Amino acid sequence: MSKNISALSGRKGIDDGLFEKMGQLTEPEGFLTKEAAQQLADEYLIGDASVYGAGTFYDFTRPENKGKKVYVCNGTACMCAGTQDSLRKELGRHFKAEEIGEMCCLGRCHENSAFYYDGHNYSGKDAVHKLFGNGQAATAHEDQYNFASSGAGILSAAGYSIGQCKEIVRQVLDTPAEKLLEEIKASGLRGRGGAGFPIGIKLEGCRKAKGAPKFIVCNADEGDPGSYSDRWVLEQRPYAMLLGMLIAGYAAGAERGVVYLRYEYPESIQTNNEALSSLRNAGLLGNDILGSGFSFEIKVVKARGAYICGEETALLSSLEGQRPEVRVRPPYPVEYGLFGKPTVVNNVETLANLPWILTEGGEAFAAIGRDRSTGTKLLSLDSAFNKPGVYEVDMGTPLRQVVNELGGGFRKAVKALHIGGPLGGLVPVSKIDDLTVDFESFAKNGFLLGHASIVSVPENYPMVVYLEHLFAFTAHESCGKCFPCRIGSVRGMELLQKAQREDFKIDRQLFDDLLYTLKSGSLCALGGGMPLPVYNALEYFGEELKGYFEG
Amino acid sequence: MLTKSTTATSTATLTNTALINGQPFAIQPGETILQFIRRYKGEKYVPTLCDAPNLDPFGSCRVCSVEVGRMGNGAQLKTVASCHTPVEEGMMIYTDSPSVQRLRRNIVELVLTDHPLDCLTCEVNGNCELQDVAAKVGIRKVRYPKGEVHTDREKDLSHPYMTADLSKCIMCYRCVRACDEVQGQFVLGVSGRGFDNKIIMGLDGNFLESDCVSCGACSQACPTSAIHDVYQSKADFGQGKVRTTCTYCGVGCQLEVSVKGDQIYSIRAPYNAEVNQGHTCLKGRYAFRFYNHPDRLKYPMIRKNGKLERASWDEAYDYIAERLTAIKDKYGPDAIAGISSARTTNEENYLMQKMIRAVIGTNNIDGCARVCHSPTAIGMQRTFGTGAATNSIEDLKYTDCILVIGANPTAAHPVTGAKIKQKAMKGTSMIVIDPRRTEMAKYAKHHLQLRPGTNVAVLDMMMYYIISEGLYDADFVNNRTEGFEDFKKGVLNINLDELERVSGVPREEVRAAAITYATANAAMCFHGLGVTEHYQGTYAVMLIADLAMLTGNVGKRGCGVNPLRGQNNVQGMADMGVQPYQGAGYLPVEDPEIIKKYEQFYGRPMPTKSGFTIPQMYNAALDGKLKALWLTGEDVVQSDPNTARVIKALQAMDLLVVQEIFETETTKYAHVVLPGASFLEKEGTFTNGERRIQRVQKVVEPVGESKPDGQIYVEMMNRLGYEQPPYSAKTALEEIRQIVPFFAGVKWEELGDNGKQWPVKPDGTGTEVLHTESFKLGKGRLLFEDFVETKEILDHQNDYPFILTTNRVLEHYNAGTMTRRTPNAELVREDILMINPVDAANNAISDGDLVRVESARGYVNVHARVTDEVKPGVLSSTFHFPEIMINLVTSDVHDTIADCPEYKVVCVRIRKVRN
Ligand SMILES: Cc1cc2nc3c(=O)[nH]c(=O)nc-3n(C[C@H](O)[C@H](O)[C@H](O)COP(=O)(O)O)c2cc1C
Ligand code: SF4
Ligand code: SF4
Ligand code: SF4
Ligand code: SF4
Ligand code: FES
Repeated sequence: MSKNISALSGRKGIDDGLFEKMGQLTEPEGFLTKEAAQQLADEYLIGDASVYGAGTFYDFTRPENKGKKVYVCNGTACMCAGTQDSLRKELGRHFKAEEIGEMCCLGRCHENSAFYYDGHNYSGKDAVHKLFGNGQAATAHEDQYNFASSGAGILSAAGYSIGQCKEIVRQVLDTPAEKLLEEIKASGLRGRGGAGFPIGIKLEGCRKAKGAPKFIVCNADEGDPGSYSDRWVLEQRPYAMLLGMLIAGYAAGAERGVVYLRYEYPESIQTNNEALSSLRNAGLLGNDILGSGFSFEIKVVKARGAYICGEETALLSSLEGQRPEVRVRPPYPVEYGLFGKPTVVNNVETLANLPWILTEGGEAFAAIGRDRSTGTKLLSLDSAFNKPGVYEVDMGTPLRQVVNELGGGFRKAVKALHIGGPLGGLVPVSKIDDLTVDFESFAKNGFLLGHASIVSVPENYPMVVYLEHLFAFTAHESCGKCFPCRIGSVRGMELLQKAQREDFKIDRQLFDDLLYTLKSGSLCALGGGMPLPVYNALEYFGEELKGYFEG
Repeated sequence: MLTKSTTATSTATLTNTALINGQPFAIQPGETILQFIRRYKGEKYVPTLCDAPNLDPFGSCRVCSVEVGRMGNGAQLKTVASCHTPVEEGMMIYTDSPSVQRLRRNIVELVLTDHPLDCLTCEVNGNCELQDVAAKVGIRKVRYPKGEVHTDREKDLSHPYMTADLSKCIMCYRCVRACDEVQGQFVLGVSGRGFDNKIIMGLDGNFLESDCVSCGACSQACPTSAIHDVYQSKADFGQGKVRTTCTYCGVGCQLEVSVKGDQIYSIRAPYNAEVNQGHTCLKGRYAFRFYNHPDRLKYPMIRKNGKLERASWDEAYDYIAERLTAIKDKYGPDAIAGISSARTTNEENYLMQKMIRAVIGTNNIDGCARVCHSPTAIGMQRTFGTGAATNSIEDLKYTDCILVIGANPTAAHPVTGAKIKQKAMKGTSMIVIDPRRTEMAKYAKHHLQLRPGTNVAVLDMMMYYIISEGLYDADFVNNRTEGFEDFKKGVLNINLDELERVSGVPREEVRAAAITYATANAAMCFHGLGVTEHYQGTYAVMLIADLAMLTGNVGKRGCGVNPLRGQNNVQGMADMGVQPYQGAGYLPVEDPEIIKKYEQFYGRPMPTKSGFTIPQMYNAALDGKLKALWLTGEDVVQSDPNTARVIKALQAMDLLVVQEIFETETTKYAHVVLPGASFLEKEGTFTNGERRIQRVQKVVEPVGESKPDGQIYVEMMNRLGYEQPPYSAKTALEEIRQIVPFFAGVKWEELGDNGKQWPVKPDGTGTEVLHTESFKLGKGRLLFEDFVETKEILDHQNDYPFILTTNRVLEHYNAGTMTRRTPNAELVREDILMINPVDAANNAISDGDLVRVESARGYVNVHARVTDEVKPGVLSSTFHFPEIMINLVTSDVHDTIADCPEYKVVCVRIRKVRN
């Protein structure tokens, strides 16, 4: 990270943001041209290398993206479902090979065959046919999946009308900020983005930090392939999340909100921009809201395709127009965040809980759930379930209940559930009964709740291929800053490929050294977290894998 | 790991302490684990690859990892990167546990999977950080099968100095960070993602096409030979290292010169240098090859039958002694004059003025400061009593407002410029007052783009707003200054309409800048030749001093008035008495007490009247009153204004001695040419712009028969019958400290690596900030001056409607005698004329066209660069190349007080030259 670029980009701020401009200039050509990079460098007083280098990082701004018209999902759920090869073939009838790109998880994990075309997502078996079958009928394909809740159903109930929004905002403005902060702390709400850090501590840290303006950044980059619960919030509960940002801003003394929303969710971007207009029209955003003296404004920024941008410090660098490489901590974002100003970064789902905490109180929230996992949790289930969809359960709910009752059991033979994204644990089906949906239960059993997406690994899916995919994913998404992950992810992938394709067996010591190096040496949880499912696989599927290793 | 927790409990009571491998040490607030360990265990105790002394922690290599636990928490250990993790009280740190060793070994093994394994043929073999770390962590072999690698990347050899061989790159980002955090140039970046990450120059081009300013920071930072330079500064040739001080500007960077025998290999910047902390610009680091250039003068020459012919030193000395004695006998000592050089050392300047004063018997001694910073010396003496920077460069750390007037530090004082730019980029408010949109101006909060020659107008307007809006520091004004009432009357009486009109700066902009300056906690001012080289140069300096006093910005950290000195030793030259009215230590030469003091010290009768300034010398020569001139290290024909007149004056001389390292435009008129030694060939001290006296050490023997200038003066003094002990820096310095009060505690042996800032008390302590308690004058004097239009404009504006001003480029130094003889000339080959697009269009001039620039004195042809760096009606040109001789057009107008010529305002007309 460059402090200079943070500050120089910060001179123009978020309204005239370097990153957004970069994205816009990319659109005509499909990538950031050298001329455009030079133009931005001159305008923002930074180096041409800095801007051009940033442009080459993202899936949808780098030169390789030139000329791409349609993008096929290469995410884990679609991969396990085995739908993408035939999708590719089918699209091949309508597009030249060089016009077909890839995109990592469109959040259509419930029916797969997912692809992106002309600003919209499509999925399901006959989507291509519907779209291109009879001439030019380009209607967006409806996207339907199950939603249900068991228990308190906090987010289920949070489908506010504008009128309700107004009441909520009134209540916020009538509550002293310190009191609100206390309520949030009392709720015990922990981050839903993966790390599980209590939000109250961050808000308080930001409130105390020196510097202005302060920022609330909503992490809507939901990058874990197989997860789409944030997408549900973004599209079905946008007001809950946006009001959550306002509440967070009020409590932390921040006046600007930014939603960093992934490119792969075009519908979510549209929904949120519309929701913001409605809130603005109702006077619930902007200067001096409802005459209270409190000002808060929110902006949606469209990401450009990079898993690492979900990591909060990379996300901040991305927003500044720098290369989204992970920063060292300290300093933490609450002290040195966006443009070097105090910033709180929280996940979509985390923020969407705040209105309920405001109206019902922190204690009521803390009463739901189990131990230090309070409240509810959303889970997303892929198409291997009979009832794929997004479900809300109280923390502490048995996993078996989610699988069997809400998900309706499996429609095909499954050997493992990969829960919590690529960095989450690989749970063999035999372990389902041991787990309850909360941070502690997963950790105690050697897994990770993470963001709680569930991807099913079918019985007939070779585990070695799955592991190769995990390394390949990490290698593809590694920001490349730290040595272990940049090189180690590639070497791990190569070892697994060689073992499958050549007369070669992997040295166990070497493989163990590699996992150890990634786990304890990496700067962030991408390199640091990816060994977990590999360790799980070695432990629970050792028999299946042993032919690829020496000894 | 039970043993670990046992140690912990037994020391659990220690406060402010952490344990390194079980041993307690005191921690310092805010330090990282790595800094903490290094403080006790040495630099190399923990291996690192991405860490560098002058860069922020980055945490990419992870080789610095250690295990840490907390006291009372048993054996629960966590692996953390020591370079960016703060040390905490009660931390138990294990630097070499088996798991740490395993981690490090495995990381380095991964690095080596993508690195050519041909160390023996690598440029930096034997001095490579990767090699060192690999050896330290004990890598025996790489176990991974061959996979994808980046070892086939092509070399970049496009640039005269910088080279790249990215097949050796380990992606530690040190180069990128150096270019950003140290130089602030952002030339280097990274393209791609993950394993495909690659260092790029500019838009993924090469060094030459990029905006690289060749500072070399990236090369010095790079741990391998992936980014290097043509001198292979990281190669191990078995050289020795000599530390010395740069000769190219008043920043005074410390250099570490690699040398073996009589060959200089390369130059690096020591990290422990207080002035430059491991940084330099391209002049200091790379432009050293002039020292053994074939053009160097290697023996004395005497003009015979119109031609300079080789002579022995004895012949030359005899020739000079004979002529000088004859002239002195016939016309008196005042027919003789000397011009000393700010490129030579303090000792040499001291001896030169002593020779002229005590041996020849005249005060006709002056130096090139006359043409640059003499107004600074006088202006600051009149207001503060001391003509030197009030603060230190280090004060940039403490300032929250920077005012840059008439200076372009990123080009002329690059290392200080880079520091100022770093501050400005990060948001310290900056005010730039300059006719050009300089690099600094782009980063500034306020840019007051005035018409050349109107500094006084703008400064008066600023003070008008500060006083009329009650923003001045009444306490400071009452307690520390005098003359406020008159001053205030003057300021409030200015004609705002008129000043706004002549300066071309809207009053609201001036007001906003004034408010920024006056309301800062500590505001620091830097000024350069754009202030001094004017008709009202001295007045402008006085007003800058007024502005600082008015707002209480004197005598504390982070503020003050800080002239950016042109040549490297301008400060020292003045300190040593190279001016016609003050002797060594600024003692007035007409004061009977002082005359007595000098007479006692030198054992000779002293002249009692002030001597000639340089412009007066030319006048006297043309009037037949000056017959002999000894000129050291200055190409006055090229650098002084109105070239034709200067040449006439030199031609009128009966004896012109020119002491130089190269033949120049001026040696063409010399009767005797004496070969001096370059700064790399002698010892002595330079005093930088923040009054820091630093050592110059001999790196190689003088070329040919050349001699250190000091030795030449001493030999000449003896030849003229004065007993001066043989020359050495130490003996000369010992003499100086007895006569120059603020050098009282300066001793050669005690100057150490970083020198001392004067005044140096007898006990040897130096001074970082001047005027903390009182001024040399007691109280500071607030002196008002109103704007007066320069005669140049009044006389010539109608016939010559454009205003030409002059500037420097980074790559060249003054008349370019040295830098043009280095590869710097490949980077910038000629002088250019900047012209606004509007003017260019009106005169049918496009980029690169040859343009005739004509003033009342003469004309030059120069290539145009069309740019909005200058406003319509204003032109700017450099003056580094004799082919152009921009001084053929510059005027005869001088500063009314200091006699400094007005280089910065010349009325001209232009037209495109048809081929
Ligand atoms: C590689 C990586 C990817 C991440 N992706 C996401 C993401 O897509 N969405 C998210 O909310 N958090 C993600 N995180 C976690 C964020 O860094 C951060 O912890 C989170 O946004 C904080 O919000 P929370 O406390 O509300 O969870 C990711 C972390 C890592 C290391
Ligand atoms: S672990 Fe990977 S993604 Fe994270 S900082 Fe290191 S290289 Fe970047
Ligand atoms: S030499 Fe200096 S300016 Fe050029 S790339 Fe290296 S650090 Fe940057
Ligand atoms: S060129 Fe050198 S300094 Fe730059 S990343 Fe590569 S190895 Fe590091
Ligand atoms: S900044 Fe000045 S002193 Fe430093 S290296 Fe450059 S020319 Fe020399
Ligand atoms: S020195 Fe700490 S990670 Fe490189």
